[in-house]
Amino acid sequence: MEYELKLESEWLWIGLPVEIDHFQTEQIRQAAKEIMQKGYVKYVVFDFSKTNLMDSSGIGLIAGRYREMAVRGGQVYVSNVSDRMKKVLMISGLYRIVTPWEQVVVSESMNHK
Amino acid sequence: MDNTNEMLLEFDAMGENEGFARTVVAVFVSRLNPTIEELGDIKVAVSEAVTNAIIHGYENGAGKIRLIARLDGQKLTVQVEDHGTGIADVVQAMEPLFTTKPEQERSGMGFSFMEAFTDELKVESKEGEGTTVTMVKMMGVRDGQDN
Repeated sequence: MEYELKLESEWLWIGLPVEIDHFQTEQIRQAAKEIMQKGYVKYVVFDFSKTNLMDSSGIGLIAGRYREMAVRGGQVYVSNVSDRMKKVLMISGLYRIVTPWEQVVVSESMNHK
Repeated sequence: MDNTNEMLLEFDAMGENEGFARTVVAVFVSRLNPTIEELGDIKVAVSEAVTNAIIHGYENGAGKIRLIARLDGQKLTVQVEDHGTGIADVVQAMEPLFTTKPEQERSGMGFSFMEAFTDELKVESKEGEGTTVTMVKMMGVRDGQDN
């Protein structure tokens, strides 16, 4: 499995694959849905450390989780975003609504990897 | 010597083939020493066109997608063809954020991405007959001399 999901209290950490396309997002979306039935998630962190390609399907995936978290007063973070990925997030306008994880002061209880 | 090169690939409209299709195009243009940026751009653009053919053209059903890539010097032309449902209103379909499938979390940015990541985009479609997307991009332009 190229991607990885981890649930920790209200936090869902999603380690994204090398290439994020429609095929990959379908699987990640399904996996996220399943894991979110196991516990209440309020915050989602998308980790881009392995990723070097993302098409607009990835935008749909992030925007979808953003909508879900927004209605429950939560938030979506992006982590380890390369310049290339930043460009893609910028073009889509998503970069305005997600928070770069690195800007957040990480408390000990939210140690995700 | 002739400076042109052309390839044709036909494959099933399946999600698994999205990665295959964009990788084929990336390998096809590799002799031009494209920048990583250019390669990333064309891979995303091909991915968008193929995804559209799968989920809109064939509505996730069976069908064949034809991918034609042509090099003329540094100029790459990629054509992605399906013989699916076609697009009733191409102008509307190309509007940013327009999507017929919000329930599938489609962002409506496919054509915008194709436009952003290539130099030219042309979409021809006929309802009931299919869609052909043609994209043009100059490759190996900035540091074609590297390595």
